[in-house]
Amino acid sequence: MSEKKNFKTAALMKEMMRNYYAQGATAKEKGIPVAWVTAVFPVEILYAAGIFPYYPENFGALASARKVADKLSLYAEAKGYAHDLCGYARCGIGDVYATEHPVGEILAPDVIFCCNTQCGTLPKWFEAASRHYNVPYFLLDSPQIPDQPEELITDYYVDQLKEMISFLEEITGEPFDYGRLAEVLRLSNETCRLWNEVLDTSAMKPAPFGFFDACFHMAPIVTMRGTPEAVNYYRALKEEVDERINKGIPAIPNERYKIYFDHIPLWPKLRWLSDLFASHNCLVAVSQYTHSWAYSFDLERPLESLAENYTEEFVNRSFEYRLQLKMNFFKKYGVDGFVLFSNRSCKPTSLGLYDKRSVLNERTGLPGVVFDADMSDLRFFSEAQILARLEPFFEQLASSR
Amino acid sequence: MGIEVLEVIKQASANPGRQVQEWKQRTGGKVIGFLLTDVPEELIHAAGFFPFGICGGSVRMDRAEVHLQSWSCSYVRNSLALALNGKLDFLDGLIVPLTCDSIRMVSGIWKHNRPLPYMGNYRLPMQVERPSAKKYLLGELERIKRGLGDYRGKDISEEELIRSIRLYNSNRNLLRKLFNLHECNPDVISNKDLYTVLGASMVIEREKLNRLLSELVKSLEDKTKKPVKKTKLYLSGTFINLPEILDYLDESGGAVVGDDLKNGFRYIEADVAETGVSPLESLAIRQLKKIPFAGYDVPSNPRRYNLVKEAQRKKAQGVLFLHLKYCEPENYDYYDNLQALEQAGIPSLRIETEFGETSPGQLQTRIHAFMEMVGGENNVREKEL
Ligand code: SF4
Ligand code: SF4
Repeated sequence: MSEKKNFKTAALMKEMMRNYYAQGATAKEKGIPVAWVTAVFPVEILYAAGIFPYYPENFGALASARKVADKLSLYAEAKGYAHDLCGYARCGIGDVYATEHPVGEILAPDVIFCCNTQCGTLPKWFEAASRHYNVPYFLLDSPQIPDQPEELITDYYVDQLKEMISFLEEITGEPFDYGRLAEVLRLSNETCRLWNEVLDTSAMKPAPFGFFDACFHMAPIVTMRGTPEAVNYYRALKEEVDERINKGIPAIPNERYKIYFDHIPLWPKLRWLSDLFASHNCLVAVSQYTHSWAYSFDLERPLESLAENYTEEFVNRSFEYRLQLKMNFFKKYGVDGFVLFSNRSCKPTSLGLYDKRSVLNERTGLPGVVFDADMSDLRFFSEAQILARLEPFFEQLASSR
Repeated sequence: MGIEVLEVIKQASANPGRQVQEWKQRTGGKVIGFLLTDVPEELIHAAGFFPFGICGGSVRMDRAEVHLQSWSCSYVRNSLALALNGKLDFLDGLIVPLTCDSIRMVSGIWKHNRPLPYMGNYRLPMQVERPSAKKYLLGELERIKRGLGDYRGKDISEEELIRSIRLYNSNRNLLRKLFNLHECNPDVISNKDLYTVLGASMVIEREKLNRLLSELVKSLEDKTKKPVKKTKLYLSGTFINLPEILDYLDESGGAVVGDDLKNGFRYIEADVAETGVSPLESLAIRQLKKIPFAGYDVPSNPRRYNLVKEAQRKKAQGVLFLHLKYCEPENYDYYDNLQALEQAGIPSLRIETEFGETSPGQLQTRIHAFMEMVGGENNVREKEL
């Protein structure tokens, strides 16, 4: 049913991502170093230094969406990596040892950068990769911030950005160009601004755009923010969304409820999940996940501003802070209920959800539910189990109106 | 006399709460618990509080599973279960070291369900070789020191900190002596007893511990026994959470000669310099120089090579990996650790356990078989003696 409603922009994105991957493939021939990076990483610095940033997490998401995460994982499991590790990591590690590459081969790095704002998995996975590929590894360490930002942590991050810039100068053999950085930051600001404008339309009734659309359109904000292509892309997407608003084309046919969803979607079951919500007239309107890329950099103080934006990500914050964040989203998007996905792959977003469900329910009075599954691996997916959780939730929603 | 002391320590280990409750009643002092590993206990002690290491215990896990998914680390679940079942009611505070995702997430869950008057995290740097690490760590230690001082209502003075550092250094020194006695002659103190003492040292009043350990070490030094040849083993991983594993080693002629465990040698390995730099800086330097573990790899001293080096230096005939199921840091290191050992020709066995889940019996056969494989000859000889 969603077929006819595909965004025209989707074709543009496919082309753009194809180009992006092609750049990665040819980078080596052109003498451009390929760097592995993490999703929440000040990639602006790498773009400014002329290095090609590659996202192994993206590879994991792609493999998951194509329903081959379990196959790739088996190769990792054969080496002693357990099936309870993050699915992205298992895909990335598994592909290295795989004899078949159902989504193409993961790109070998010349250098590995990692920031641990998101989780403890990424540094451990990337350490293992740096041993395997025998390439240098640089960790941007981002200690957890409690409720309020702390100077101690911002200063530490800025110090490390400076260390990273020296490290980059050694790799490229050229002095780092702060003028170039300012330009990249400007583009990144613009990309984030457009992206968040698009996301904001989910608050409209009915909304032209929802969480599942956002999942589809987020690849460029993750991988290419800071480039002119990304700006063009989100400008086009914004125009198309505006056009839909004018024409009155909604994201789902009969939007009756707005739902908050935590956090990453079930990639191999994306269509199933979005149809399930739509069939109950629920628009999944917002998730902290797609809102992670909402940076706003101050070009006058680039390093400090990078430090603030990247360390203050929600996933690096306290229990209470994250509750507040969710409640702010509830309010801003006028949600009628919330669904929390306890994702085996991702402890930093999933542990604590059992408690958060009841706290959110008590504090807001909204119905909410937690279900367990895995974002990438179908071996941990049980349709019956999820439905057993979600059906009563849908009933509750219906009776609350 | 040594035997009596050993009994006292064993009892403390069997019932860790009792000691601390007695101390509380006697002194009216406050107890700050900590999860493992690397929490700078000296700071807790300097504030006059009792540092209490939470090392797991037998408790029903179901109350924790309402809050923590069954696929999170069982040490973390077990610790929370202890708190939820009222087994840590003597705590006035808690410090959680943020070394992995399970532990970093439990901090908020704990605070939400069992709030304590003092709750803090120890956010150790996860890279240790760049200059930024030390500067940050000094700030982080200062922050914890200030927080503990605030809780007490009086800043921790330099003299207090130096005194605690001295005390802890002498604790560690005695524990290392004990380790060494075991290493030289495992018959003097068994694997099981050695690790029981190490674990108990986290829950006994540290002044008293010094007296007990001095007596123990002295009495054991006096014990003249002809060393029996044993099969030397190195332990690597997270915890010894099943004492039975040590029994199996004892009964099959194994002698642990080194480890990198959180409640083993990692706990006593490094002292804090008493002179030269400020005490806080000494604490920072100790942290930055600790032996490699699963938390992060150190580029100039990769863990896998350190493992090989240590095993070889100690002439270990095999390595026993003791992993907790769902412990991600260990799991990501395992493959490369194994490769490095295999290249060096060192056999190993990986044992995965879970607090509250694993029944030790099933491990006995595997451990015996491994022991026979790596040290068959020794074991035979021992039986002949
Ligand atoms: S553990 Fe979570 S944050 Fe980390 S890589 Fe996996 S999905 Fe991403
Ligand atoms: S045992 Fe492993 S998973 Fe558990 S707290 Fe320690 S490092 Fe984390």
